[in-house]
Amino acid sequence: MVCPCVFYIRSHLCSKKIINYPLKAKKEEKSAAPAASKSKPSAPAAGKATEKTGEAVEEFEGGAATMEELMRTRAHFHKVGENFKTDGYVTTPKTEELLKKHVQAVGGKVVTRFPPEPNGVLHIGHAKAININFGYAKAHGGMCNLRFDDTNPEKEEEKFFTAIEDIVRWLGYEPAEVTHSSDNFQQLYDWAVVLIKKGLAYVCHQKVEEMRGFEVQLSPWRDRPIEESLQLFEDMKNGKFDEGEATLRLKLTLEEGKVDPVAYRIKFVPHHRSGDQWCVYPTYDYTHCLCDSIENITHSLCTKEFQSRRSSYYWLCNALDIYCPVQWEYGRLNVNYTVVSKRKILKLIETKVVNDWDDPRLFTLTALRRRGIPSEAINRFVAKLGLTMSQMVIDPHVLDATVRDYLNTHAPRTMAVLNGLKLTIENFEELNLPSELSVPDFPSDPQTSGTHIVAFDKEIFIEKTDYRSNDNDKSFRRLTKSQPIGLKHIGLVLSFVREVTDASGNVTELVVRAKKLTAEDKPKAFVHWVARPVSAEVRLYDRLFKHKNPEDPVAVPGGFLSDINENTLTVLYNVLIDKSIGNSKVYDRFQFERIGYFCVDRDSIAGKLVFNRTVLLKEDAGKN
Amino acid sequence: MSSFSEALRVHGLQSVIRKVMASEQVSADKELQDYHNHFAADLQEVEKLSRLLNAMKRGEVTEELLEACPDLAEASKKNEKLKYRKKILQGSLEKQSAANSSRGINVPMTKSAIKRDNEKAVGAPDDKKPKKDAKSKEKTGGAAPKQARKYDYVVVEDYGSSILGRLSDLFRKAIKEAFPSLDVALLMAETSNPTFGDYQCNSAMPIAAKLKATGVSKRPGDVAKEIFAKIPSNTEFLEKVEVMPAGFINIFLKKDYIKKQIWSIAKKGLELPKISKRRVLVDFSSPNIAKEMHVGHLRSTIIGDSICRLLEAVGFDVLRVNHIGDWGTQFGMLIAHLYDRYPDFETKLPEISDLQAFYKESKKRFDEDEVFKKRAYECVVKLQSYEPNFVKAWETICDVSKKYNQYVYDRLDIKIEDFGESFYQDKMLNLVDSIKKTHPGVLREDEGRQIMFPTGCEVPLTVVKSDGGFTYDTSDLAALNYRINQLKVDWAIYVVDAGQSLHLETVYAAGRDFGWYDESVKRVEHVAFGLVLGEDRKKFKTRSGETVRLLDLLDEGVKRAEKSLQEKGRHEVMNKEELEAARDAVAYGCIKYADLSHTRTQDYVFSFDRMLDDRGNTAVYLLYAYARIRSIVRTSGVSEAELSDYLNKTSVLPLDHPAEMNLAKQILKLSDCVLQVLDSLMLHPLCDFVYQLATQFHDFYNECYVIDKRGDKTEIHFHRLALCDVTANTMATCFKILGIREVSKM
Repeated sequence: MVCPCVFYIRSHLCSKKIINYPLKAKKEEKSAAPAASKSKPSAPAAGKATEKTGEAVEEFEGGAATMEELMRTRAHFHKVGENFKTDGYVTTPKTEELLKKHVQAVGGKVVTRFPPEPNGVLHIGHAKAININFGYAKAHGGMCNLRFDDTNPEKEEEKFFTAIEDIVRWLGYEPAEVTHSSDNFQQLYDWAVVLIKKGLAYVCHQKVEEMRGFEVQLSPWRDRPIEESLQLFEDMKNGKFDEGEATLRLKLTLEEGKVDPVAYRIKFVPHHRSGDQWCVYPTYDYTHCLCDSIENITHSLCTKEFQSRRSSYYWLCNALDIYCPVQWEYGRLNVNYTVVSKRKILKLIETKVVNDWDDPRLFTLTALRRRGIPSEAINRFVAKLGLTMSQMVIDPHVLDATVRDYLNTHAPRTMAVLNGLKLTIENFEELNLPSELSVPDFPSDPQTSGTHIVAFDKEIFIEKTDYRSNDNDKSFRRLTKSQPIGLKHIGLVLSFVREVTDASGNVTELVVRAKKLTAEDKPKAFVHWVARPVSAEVRLYDRLFKHKNPEDPVAVPGGFLSDINENTLTVLYNVLIDKSIGNSKVYDRFQFERIGYFCVDRDSIAGKLVFNRTVLLKEDAGKN
Repeated sequence: MSSFSEALRVHGLQSVIRKVMASEQVSADKELQDYHNHFAADLQEVEKLSRLLNAMKRGEVTEELLEACPDLAEASKKNEKLKYRKKILQGSLEKQSAANSSRGINVPMTKSAIKRDNEKAVGAPDDKKPKKDAKSKEKTGGAAPKQARKYDYVVVEDYGSSILGRLSDLFRKAIKEAFPSLDVALLMAETSNPTFGDYQCNSAMPIAAKLKATGVSKRPGDVAKEIFAKIPSNTEFLEKVEVMPAGFINIFLKKDYIKKQIWSIAKKGLELPKISKRRVLVDFSSPNIAKEMHVGHLRSTIIGDSICRLLEAVGFDVLRVNHIGDWGTQFGMLIAHLYDRYPDFETKLPEISDLQAFYKESKKRFDEDEVFKKRAYECVVKLQSYEPNFVKAWETICDVSKKYNQYVYDRLDIKIEDFGESFYQDKMLNLVDSIKKTHPGVLREDEGRQIMFPTGCEVPLTVVKSDGGFTYDTSDLAALNYRINQLKVDWAIYVVDAGQSLHLETVYAAGRDFGWYDESVKRVEHVAFGLVLGEDRKKFKTRSGETVRLLDLLDEGVKRAEKSLQEKGRHEVMNKEELEAARDAVAYGCIKYADLSHTRTQDYVFSFDRMLDDRGNTAVYLLYAYARIRSIVRTSGVSEAELSDYLNKTSVLPLDHPAEMNLAKQILKLSDCVLQVLDSLMLHPLCDFVYQLATQFHDFYNECYVIDKRGDKTEIHFHRLALCDVTANTMATCFKILGIREVSKM
């Protein structure tokens, strides 16, 4: 009885048989499905449906390895032009003709759009929207537009436009067209006039407070004469009303008892594109569907919050007798231990908790890029999560795991010492060793033939933590006074000779003896090292917040600012890196052997590289 | 052993000491670091504060300052918004005035112009011309088809004493020279505050806005300077021109020029601007036969007549046409009824005292009596085939009706010639034939009717009904064709209520489609007007709810005027003839003036009490003022010859008193006003002008002696006497255009 279609964007996507089940029953089935398949009967089913905190990536059965595969195999949307076959789609006598024209206009191809508001930077949640829209178009040979939903001039800034476009391209997608809702201001206005003339919209003078809240009264202006509304709407446009004194409202009742959504409001603010032309600006509710229609969008994909706007979406297109796209919803993607709202990030920047919008501790896409997360890994992450109807709240380590998977085969290895301890090999000359040696970039993958040259010398550096003066702890397998250690890649085994201490008795150096590694005499461990290194700065980042949901007023009564971990940024100023990577470019990524993945930061200057730690090699056990 | 333990202890102590020292060093370091941090933070704070202080001193609103002063930030944001709103409002104003002038509405560019104007939406669905009600009901719903752009139909040959005309000419040229690529409406306005000069050119702001749109950023002040640079410096009538930083250009007139102009008027008489002569047909009044004229016909009659008078005043060749409703199926029942009621009508013109009742009787029979109805239809057929007896019956009815109408026209001093709908009967036949020949395919078959959709029109014209008959669409088309192509008029002005706008515009569009006229050359225009409302702001009706008969209304006016004159004791100072003349002038003048002084396109409230008030902008006030000026001249004892002798001896009137100057300036505005009215065919600016003139004279007379009697010495200021004369003549000219009888004694 369980719906075989895991990608249940909407219930009616399931096999026809199930369609007749009452909604409630279906919901239960949905939530029960993952629990049953995972044979974890104790897990509360309801919790599963709304919050997947997946310990391992494999858990997301709805997912696929790539976006392409996901979109081809799991996304069961309507065919282009068959909008009417979708449940809930509203047809009118004109639908047939309009659809015919629409199919002609798009040439039978899928057309989607990614419609961000240019009022902030994109975050991990947007990655899902970008992937679904661009991915679906790509998988079906269609097109996807990047549309800036720029109808609120108060919040828009030029810099957000370029940043958004940049990020879309970074994720590997090329918009078929970059459009702006504001390009349609005149058309939208003309349509508003049409709606008034049809008696479907009116000018209202209720205050915002009167429109919101419980038991909202119907506007007393709802039935004013058409002529009057026409005149007043023009007056609104002409600047005769002050902000808040008048709005244009659509005459329809929405789900959740909302009545008469606002279509136009007055703002005496210039628009970055239309300049001083307008002082009435359309709302999201009004603009979105009409712009979709104008662009002949075949599939209007959006997150579930907009489900309640679907009926107004259809109503509006049909009221104007224009082509009506189909709206499909999917669950929103949220990530734990972070905040993504523009206002909150701004607060973090202001209070100097983070440095900027792209501070690698954040989950904006620019921050993730700066941290070294490859776009491919983000896309895979989204693909793996699949596209369920329910909202997903994912722990950051799920992303980290995907990133590790990707970087494992894509980030060349190198040896770097974060906290160096100098070792002098007293018998260096006797060993007759080369001053350089070639090391494979991907030792675990012999197919990849890349190598890099590593220097070797009498003096080398290993991690301070790889030596312990005290050899009581038998579980410590690395260098002690009595325990030798192997050096990676060069086949040497070092034994302790003596410590060199400074005036206050701190160990500053070691003197060791080396011998060649033999099969009989293997040390317990091999460590990484550097010789004739270059100094670099490394920034280590930790999770910014203590609680999963820093915005949860119950768990964090003091507000998200009270939930900040201290010292989430550790800067190591004298990290020793191999000369071979001394000339790396910004965003070059490496695996520092035995430590983790690192990426060159944009703060680097010639001769002094800065690395960000992207992820540790393994999930830090201490953190969970 | 002991030395070992000693050593151990020493070693232990040493390590403790080392640790303590280290921790001291750490804490000292830390303390130092803390102080350093404190210091750095304080230093930063000081720097910030001094930056803020500097910004405040310089009056710069930096972002940092806004952040530091939330109130300032709030105010600054509010200010930005207000500035933006102002910009939007200015833009709207500009667009509206452009739209207004393209519709023939000329609103002076003052603050009041921002007020919501009702010019455009004069829906008058319930006061259609009765003859067209069936049709207009469905047509008045929509807006009139968009009128094409505005053409300058008024070609001025000589501006005469028009100042604004000259100024506009000057500034239009200057703007063209300074900004050759821009097409911007010229904004000239009178200034309300004399410190800013007499006139103002406000074009710099819209020009700056337009420039900005093309990517050129220029402040209005700089734009104004560039315009200013192109103004010739040696203009005879300009004292000075100054540019305000905000972009206004203030214009001061030369006083000597004004003095000279007034002298010239006093000597040679008032000259209106010279306009290229045009042949104009004015279609107005247009009542229906067999229905008495009612208050609904009043506006068309008054406005149409006044427009004719204006056009005649500037020397146009004017055809006053009464497009009476003397044709149609209703004549069947009237003729049939006539035969029954007045069988001897052929020999004797029947005394139908109450046409309204006659009409109602026949209508009642028509609705209730099937036999009568059948006969009525037969009568229509016979009439339309011109059977002599029936034509005679029709003529009889028309004559009775016209006799009554003429009575109204005589009382109101209105001349008009009848070209009724019947006149176009055969022309309609020819028209349909010729349309089918010359424009095949234009007429479309629709449920048996033949209709056409003129370019840009959503509502079709029904040219032929399904029974083969014609409609008002057809007769109006035929009339338009005849007027343009047979009468060869340059202008055709239709003074018809606003409810007919869609119908008329559709007819005009059809005329253009047929190639009858080119609207850039010929002015075919619907001069629309609003409703007459009662004092309850509802449709004007009698107490019993009947429509008000025009004759009754005029009688009532006369009665009230007489009463009002008697209340003032005028009957004691005037003889019977003078009193009667004054009474009629007041009665008819006030009815006309009340109509004309309101914005034509708006509804106006008919109130005898208000129009007979001798205070405020009423005909009564003006008539009194006029009579008073005439009496000042009359009682001065200075003869015409003496005055003209004075004028011959001088070449300028010494109008040095500010009140004299103000009055003089006002007099010179008549030409501008006439030009404005010719352009817009709105008469209220002329009423405003003459009212202003009367009040300016009042101010002048309060402050300046014309005849100065001190003790036994009497000094007559001749130049003031001349000014009085010029004022009175100017008023008389206005009265003539407005159709108000002047009485020199009241």
